[in-house]
Amino acid sequence: MSIPSVLRGGIFVAALVTLPLLGLQHWFLNLLVFVLIYATLSSSWNLVGGFAGYPSLGHAGFFGIGAYTLALIFRDHVLATGYEPFVLLPVVGLIGALIGWPIALIAMRTRADVFAIVTITFLFVVQTLAFNLHDLTGGSQGTALPIPPFNADHYEVPFYYVLVALLLFTMGLTFATMRSKVGLSLVSIRADEDKARGVGVRVIGVKVLAFSVSVGITAMVGAVWAYYESFIYPQFAVDPLITIAMVLMTFLGGRGTLWGPVLGAVILESGQQVLTYQLGAVQLYLIVYALIFLVIILLLPRGILPTIEDRLRLYRRRRRTDAAPDDWPGDLAAPSSEADTATLLGGGAT
Amino acid sequence: MTDLLAVHDVTKVFGGVRAVDNASLSVKEGTVTALIGPNGSGKTTLFNIITGYLKADAGRVEFDGRDVTGSDPGRLYRQGLSRTFQQARIFPQLTVQENLVVAGGYGWRKLFTSRVGRADRERAASLLEEFRLARISDLFASELSYGQRKLLEFAAVLMSEPRLVLLDEPTAGVNPVLIETMERHVRERNAAGITFLIVEHDMTFVMRLCDPVIVLDAGRPIFTGEPLVVQNNPLVLDAYLGS
Repeated sequence: MSIPSVLRGGIFVAALVTLPLLGLQHWFLNLLVFVLIYATLSSSWNLVGGFAGYPSLGHAGFFGIGAYTLALIFRDHVLATGYEPFVLLPVVGLIGALIGWPIALIAMRTRADVFAIVTITFLFVVQTLAFNLHDLTGGSQGTALPIPPFNADHYEVPFYYVLVALLLFTMGLTFATMRSKVGLSLVSIRADEDKARGVGVRVIGVKVLAFSVSVGITAMVGAVWAYYESFIYPQFAVDPLITIAMVLMTFLGGRGTLWGPVLGAVILESGQQVLTYQLGAVQLYLIVYALIFLVIILLLPRGILPTIEDRLRLYRRRRRTDAAPDDWPGDLAAPSSEADTATLLGGGAT
Repeated sequence: MTDLLAVHDVTKVFGGVRAVDNASLSVKEGTVTALIGPNGSGKTTLFNIITGYLKADAGRVEFDGRDVTGSDPGRLYRQGLSRTFQQARIFPQLTVQENLVVAGGYGWRKLFTSRVGRADRERAASLLEEFRLARISDLFASELSYGQRKLLEFAAVLMSEPRLVLLDEPTAGVNPVLIETMERHVRERNAAGITFLIVEHDMTFVMRLCDPVIVLDAGRPIFTGEPLVVQNNPLVLDAYLGS
């Protein structure tokens, strides 16, 4: 681990830990809770959508599964401390991952657009079930979770710290993935899955593993969200907009990077909250979502962080080659400016 | 010499086209065998069946005496049968070094170890040196020229220490100097014990390097023999030029 990355991580953790100690107002803490929810969701989506290149649109289904799982576990329970649901989060994650395993085995036989359609179908299946399994979910009337006996003055704070832990866990997992042969395998799958099969990469195992872990985390976030909301309805617990947000945030910040999804979540979620306040409680922010998507596709096809990284790389190389013009490495090819341009535009390396 | 690879009565039909039609052939251990034939004669389809990318409608494939019909490409690779593709398929988002490391054919436990460990680096280093890619090992593969990509793909499939390598048109679209480089690499590796099966259109390359030569036409082998004999065989001339 390099010193700058340790420093970056340290500052990030320190900032997250100290923020609630600053005596922030409720609306701001609430905003932070939602930024953390989306940062964790995007980071988990990134494991499948970013690294393996499988654009899942079904993740909100697992968000809902997590929410209802927690609701079912604590049905008719009165909480003593309020921390019991947090303790059981790993169980919720495990259930999500176990459900994700067979789904991935089936859905990941398809790729790209077909995979997106298969997974969004799964989302709607879950939503339909949530509407119709009255005994389990309460149907469209919704279902209640136990009320946490937290002090109203800093009601958000426990949720905040649990989400910080979840986010750091997910980012740690992402970091470990990037540094291991699992990550290497995932990138090769994204680049050329058939070729990867041919050089002995364990494509099915690795991508199914990534999907299961990813949806397990998503389910845990869903559970925390449900507990925070304390009353959940099918249309909000299994909401295509949550899927869209996860995808959009990851694309904006940069797929397949550690910080990209977090950056995307900070920008979009705080932006959305501000817009909602400014424009009133209307869904005008959806139009802004669409606009942002267009801008990303046109100007930043690889997202913010990879684009900045590429420019830096190019800049450094220019400086180096200017200093020593004969130092082009490689015996066979002349320096190819097209290759550089292709990288810059994301042509060769998306 | 024993047969390292044996194909028995393999057939593959696409719609109404019999791409491979009851084909049988064998590759003896230690040879550089060429597989030639006019366009559409089924060479690549046969390659895909042998390496597990396509399922044959009928027939059997044996590698090293074992029946491997319908085996997964990854499993075959780990057993020592690897291949390259016609269009030089490498992983552009990975560096040159990582392109080699990813092809190590790892077991599950190894997957959770460091992305590029010291052992991997050492293993890759000798190949990078051999293929003269050492100085660009940290560049992304997307930045390589086409010829370099061809070399990289070739080097990568050697990471698993294969016994049989199938090369699909190793000289297509590369310059004459690189063709000689390719030839040298095949010779050196063959001398070190690797068997090759090569699909190729460059006849001078085939004549210089390969023995025996198998000629495929309309999905089945019509002739097998020394390169010089093949060149003058009326059946072969007929397949290429038409009667």
